[in-house]
Amino acid sequence: MQVLVSGLLLGGIYAVISIGLTLIFGVTRIINFAHGEFLMLAMYGTFWLFTSYGMDPYVSLLIVTPAMFLVGLVAQRAVIQPILGAAPLMQIFATVGLSVAMQNAALLVWHADYRTIRTSYSTSVLEVFGLVVSIPRLAAFGVAAAMALGFFFLFKYTYLGKALRAVAQDRRSAMLMGINVQRIYLLSFGIGTACVGVAGAMLMPIYYTFPTVGTYFVLTAFVVVVLGGMGSMMGACVGGLIIGVIEAFSGFFIAPALKEAVYFVIFILMLLFRPSGLFGQRGAEEVGLK
Amino acid sequence: MSTLRRLGEPRIYLPLLAVLIIILAPLAIESPFYLHVLVMILFYAALSQAWNIIGGYGGQLSLGHAAFFGIGSYASTLLFLQSGLSPWIGAILGGLLAMGTAFAISYPCFRLHGPFFTLSTIAFGEVIRILAIYFRDITRGSVGLQIPFQPSLAHFVFRDKASYLYVALGYLVLTTAVTWWIERSKLGHALVALREDEDAAEAVGINTHWAKLTAVMVSAFLTALGGVFYSQFVLFIEPYSVFSGDLSIQIAMVAIIGGIGTVSGPIIGSFIVTPVSEFARAWLGGSYRGLHFLVYGLVLIVVVILIPRGVGEWLRAPYRRLIRRLPGWRPVEAPPPAAVPAVPFTPVAAGGNGYLLECRQVSKYFRGLAALHQVDLTVRQGEILGLIGPNGAGKSTLFNTITSFYPPDKGQILFAGRPITGIRPPHRIIRLGIGRTFQVVKPFTNVTALENVVVGAFCRTTDAGQARAEAAHILEMVGMGQKMDVLARSLTLADRKRLELARALATRPQLLLLDEVMAGLNSTEVTEMIALVRRIRESGISILVIEHVMHVIMSLCDRIVVLHHGEKIAEGTPAGVSADRRVIEAYLGEEYLIA
Repeated sequence: MQVLVSGLLLGGIYAVISIGLTLIFGVTRIINFAHGEFLMLAMYGTFWLFTSYGMDPYVSLLIVTPAMFLVGLVAQRAVIQPILGAAPLMQIFATVGLSVAMQNAALLVWHADYRTIRTSYSTSVLEVFGLVVSIPRLAAFGVAAAMALGFFFLFKYTYLGKALRAVAQDRRSAMLMGINVQRIYLLSFGIGTACVGVAGAMLMPIYYTFPTVGTYFVLTAFVVVVLGGMGSMMGACVGGLIIGVIEAFSGFFIAPALKEAVYFVIFILMLLFRPSGLFGQRGAEEVGLK
Repeated sequence: MSTLRRLGEPRIYLPLLAVLIIILAPLAIESPFYLHVLVMILFYAALSQAWNIIGGYGGQLSLGHAAFFGIGSYASTLLFLQSGLSPWIGAILGGLLAMGTAFAISYPCFRLHGPFFTLSTIAFGEVIRILAIYFRDITRGSVGLQIPFQPSLAHFVFRDKASYLYVALGYLVLTTAVTWWIERSKLGHALVALREDEDAAEAVGINTHWAKLTAVMVSAFLTALGGVFYSQFVLFIEPYSVFSGDLSIQIAMVAIIGGIGTVSGPIIGSFIVTPVSEFARAWLGGSYRGLHFLVYGLVLIVVVILIPRGVGEWLRAPYRRLIRRLPGWRPVEAPPPAAVPAVPFTPVAAGGNGYLLECRQVSKYFRGLAALHQVDLTVRQGEILGLIGPNGAGKSTLFNTITSFYPPDKGQILFAGRPITGIRPPHRIIRLGIGRTFQVVKPFTNVTALENVVVGAFCRTTDAGQARAEAAHILEMVGMGQKMDVLARSLTLADRKRLELARALATRPQLLLLDEVMAGLNSTEVTEMIALVRRIRESGISILVIEHVMHVIMSLCDRIVVLHHGEKIAEGTPAGVSADRRVIEAYLGEEYLIA
């Protein structure tokens, strides 16, 4: 039970990261290999705000998230926009290049040290029915749930949400319906990046940051997104929780060192036998490629 | 022409000169550091060349090649440390092990396309690295393995850098020769075709899955050799260095910066990229770790956006000009004028009842929508059968069921009396003698018209010369003799349709399925096309043709079958069908009857 709870709480974070990834893929049909590096940036941002200004990570959320939104806009304009019509091969390489550049820029500026921040509540726990629940993890889970709910309403009830869905389904028809598709691409990238802004701030009290931290999380996010279904919000949330639980259990029962191997195997099996994922539309994974 | 005379040509002696310069380099370069840099340049060029086979030619972007590299490294090192086996032999065994691994990994993963394939290669790379760390009883985990410094040829350990330089050079020459050979072979053409369009590749009889598997296995073997070289050069290996994701990325990056899918690309790329990292490491030391990868990343983005075909693309024209000015230059001699084999046509005997193709009660459903419902259709030997019907009637779907792109849900299809229902994948149907075109043309856009058709001709031969001669002959026949060297993407629609037809013809079909080859052509072009289709029939090929242009159908076809909402509503002679009340209602409209 304890394992299940800690797995679920961890899964919340994965869900937030994956929502951003899946949103970008759903709308632009580009898999952003640099997604993890944006997370890394957000974590350093939070770290810096804390150490320089003593700002609480949960407060800095309000600064880091919009900042990451802007970073996303800039990255989209500079790197993603020019390759929208390019061959899939080139699209992969452009974001891989972005990822490599950001990772190593961080290595250059901040060196390879692991950095963490100590807050008064970093290690504080709550005991409910004999279960030990870490408070910052619980907070992270709460924020994740709130975000998922927020996205649900955004997509269902706002013009922007509907436009996003329309572009995701068929960019040409959406264009004919008077939707500014370029703007939607830009916004989706911004929003997707803002998601890792939130995730970064929520992670900082419980995790440490280093230049390649993004690789670790983004690979997990890929697993989540494939499990849940490419482009599906619901899938990202549920997939995140499932992977969190799987990770906790395999770490507990098999061997901590092998937990990544376990979910990569799940990932590959999933890709092979049900590439549309748990909630994805069948064939959705092909749409952007053919 | 004698080999000796060919040595006098710049295109031959220039590369040989380059090799000679590298062989003599140790005499001029005294600093071990510069020699080291040169070794690394050759080493990365060779690795990247190995990757290029599947990543560049085949377009299957693997970011997990470090797995093969590491397998080679560990296999030879462990064999040497535990049983004293010479790494030279260990290299072969490691290569074979990597090949086996590549087969096991890729067999399922090649069902994935584009970024999904890339993701799966990353995942596999990670899994193998994690396993290498985990099974420390065998690999000694993160501690790594040390190879004792006992210089000898048998141990593949040398005191001087020059020896390593020669091994690296040999490695590069080997990978380049293999790539060069593949580029000209049937396999190379298959890879380029499937990179450009997998469906179209199947439609000219290419076993795409087999082609990808062969390529990745060759690539894995050569990559593993690189792993062996690395471990013998550095004399120390650990999972984080030989299985690292950064290595996978670097291998691919070198090729893309130089130009993927070309023999020269990885070599050019390595001469540009590798010195950056080696000099950055030496001059800036540990304090600027990451700088060279930062530069790589930025260069990669710029190259992808501005020169997606790589830096090699810039150098090609100046290189050609240089070659022309050098002594001994002669224009390329045209291949001996098409000794076109009178297409060895062994017309298959039609089925016992005289039918070449027979569809019995064929049905195809898409989620409850009956695209085809119990369709009976027969094509007699030597006839032109027209297939008409309003948009959405199921005509193209019928083509797709016959050629197994969508196998039928119910019913039977016989070709020359033999059941072919559900024989998959499509290339097997094509090889039986059914050629097809696509309604939306699918040329291999980044290669020339000739190469497009050569790919088709390879369906029946493995001889490159014969394939070229046949392809040229067919292009002449469809009236594109003047446009053989034009890239397919710059052809007009009419030419693309002709090209599509030529490519299908090159597979030497008995039965040709033509899907709206006249749509979008002007009246002159239509007239030409009609004449062409008639000529094809006269050569003994039976034809099933989908067409909307009514006068074409009426003048071309011996018989006509009409589909409507997935069902056959009429069949008969052009005159008979056009008088049929149901057909008029469903399709032609009153005006046609009056006219």
